Amino acid sequence: MNAPEMESSSAIGPESAADLERLVERKLVLWYYFAALTYLIVSMLGGLLMALQLIQCNELQGIELLSPGRWRMLHTNAIAYGFLANAFLGTLHWAIPRLTMRPVLSKPLSYLIFAAWQIVVVSTAVGILLGQAQAVEWGETPVWIDPVALLGLLLVAVNFMAPIAGAKGPMYVSLWYFMAAFVWTFLTYAMGNFIPQYVVCGTNAGAIAGLFIHDLVGLFVTPLGWGLMYYFVPILLKKPIWSHGLSLVGFWGLAFFYPLQGIHHFLYTPIPMFLQYGAVISTIAVEFVVATVIVNFFGTLYGSGRAVVTNLPIRWFYTGMILYFVTCFQCALQVTLTFQQLIHFTDWVVGHAHLVMFGVFSQWLLGIMTYLIPRLTGKEWYSRTLCEWHYWLSATSIVVMFLDLTMAGLFQGWSWSSMQYWDHSTQVSQPFWIVRVFAGLAMFSGQIVFIYNIYRTLSGPRTAPATGLQPATA
Amino acid sequence: MPAPNRRKNRVWTVVTVLFFLGPAMFGFGTKFYELVQVFRGDASGAFAVTPIVNYLLAGCGFLLLFGWAAKNGMFRDIEQPKFLMLENENRLDAVERSAAPHA
Repeated sequence: MNAPEMESSSAIGPESAADLERLVERKLVLWYYFAALTYLIVSMLGGLLMALQLIQCNELQGIELLSPGRWRMLHTNAIAYGFLANAFLGTLHWAIPRLTMRPVLSKPLSYLIFAAWQIVVVSTAVGILLGQAQAVEWGETPVWIDPVALLGLLLVAVNFMAPIAGAKGPMYVSLWYFMAAFVWTFLTYAMGNFIPQYVVCGTNAGAIAGLFIHDLVGLFVTPLGWGLMYYFVPILLKKPIWSHGLSLVGFWGLAFFYPLQGIHHFLYTPIPMFLQYGAVISTIAVEFVVATVIVNFFGTLYGSGRAVVTNLPIRWFYTGMILYFVTCFQCALQVTLTFQQLIHFTDWVVGHAHLVMFGVFSQWLLGIMTYLIPRLTGKEWYSRTLCEWHYWLSATSIVVMFLDLTMAGLFQGWSWSSMQYWDHSTQVSQPFWIVRVFAGLAMFSGQIVFIYNIYRTLSGPRTAPATGLQPATA
Repeated sequence: MPAPNRRKNRVWTVVTVLFFLGPAMFGFGTKFYELVQVFRGDASGAFAVTPIVNYLLAGCGFLLLFGWAAKNGMFRDIEQPKFLMLENENRLDAVERSAAPHA
């Protein structure tokens, strides 16, 4: 960007509090967060019920509506479409207007999307409980709600793309990620929910479903998550990202390598081997891209390392980043045919999924909420000690759960590969599944602590500084 | 940047690109040939084509976007956006602080 362009870009934007109010719809961000946390609790309850079922403790036995197969799907759908989607949408209503200095296309449309999305999530839950789940993993939303969800995603894209399109000059990396996420999510959702349902079948549908499962993580959650990290980390550390050029390498690497990965979910299937190898290679290629992103963020932290101790949102973010690196490193290993022989269908995969969804993205969003809720409400946290409890219960329990399920997966794999009878593998798993229940309970209590802290914060008086600009510290 | 340095950088860029792209293009070409053979040899081979076509469409879309971005100067002053973002954020915070009742 040349100098005059830069001046014009920085000259726009709010000059008064009223302008600032017009820029960001704070009330809506909070509504999204309340909805997200409600679904987080629902999802975790589903997870706990499933964990109890595995240690043969099911008090709901015989009730068809609450059979384990159904609440297991409720658990995954509530976390993806209820918690993550709502928390992302709320945060984007804060980040995009501030990054572009332009409000979203239409605030009434934002409220309409909020209402429509809650209808989609609740309908999905009801549909699943009534036994109307679609036969696509992570895409179990009943077929009758798919068109509404897709329309909602289109409206989200239109509403957020307007301020991005209006921004002048070279774009900041977060906006590249957001822009791509809006297009990718729409296309991924359409591909996964419509093509296997109406167009193709058999192995062909399996290949598409594989792409959908992985693209939902990599092309919906990942770009939004990293885009937000590139926004929040520099503003909290009060210094720019170490290398903007390197951050763009990360973005374009994701764009070109990620879309082919999904087939690694179906290794050893009738899908041609060259496609399976392609998925393996592109998965390993992405790990190099991930390394550039991690280097960039730790380069940014260099010289400000104490912030990880004193600044709680930064601690949430960097914990998530370390776990992201772990999960991607694990991914590079587990997509090989050698690893798959042992771990396919075992709890290793369940541990991996929890590490990604809770350890990384949920922790980032909880960190963002920890930072933003005081700013949105004009009230400092009721108790910073409770914020610390929230962090430690969440972070410790996810690490315990991940290690526990990874080991459980290995024992299950060894049991199966040594041709033991099926019950042997479930007996071997019992100690691990018991540990999982306790880890889940700790994680759940962390979120209850957080919600209680929010409730007490909202019940209290407005505090200075009303902008909440001081980071939540220990 | 002085002209000899610029030329040296350009040569290094071309050599590096060839080093990575050469084997990659060879690998892609042979695998694409295999794909065509699968599609031709077996009527049900269409199932191999669907994910590849999906990927190629997405890849082409991003290649076009990358070209558009380069043409429109998105990578010209590649580090500038990170400073501008912080500057804007500071201005927003200043407005917010000045409006805060207890600030």
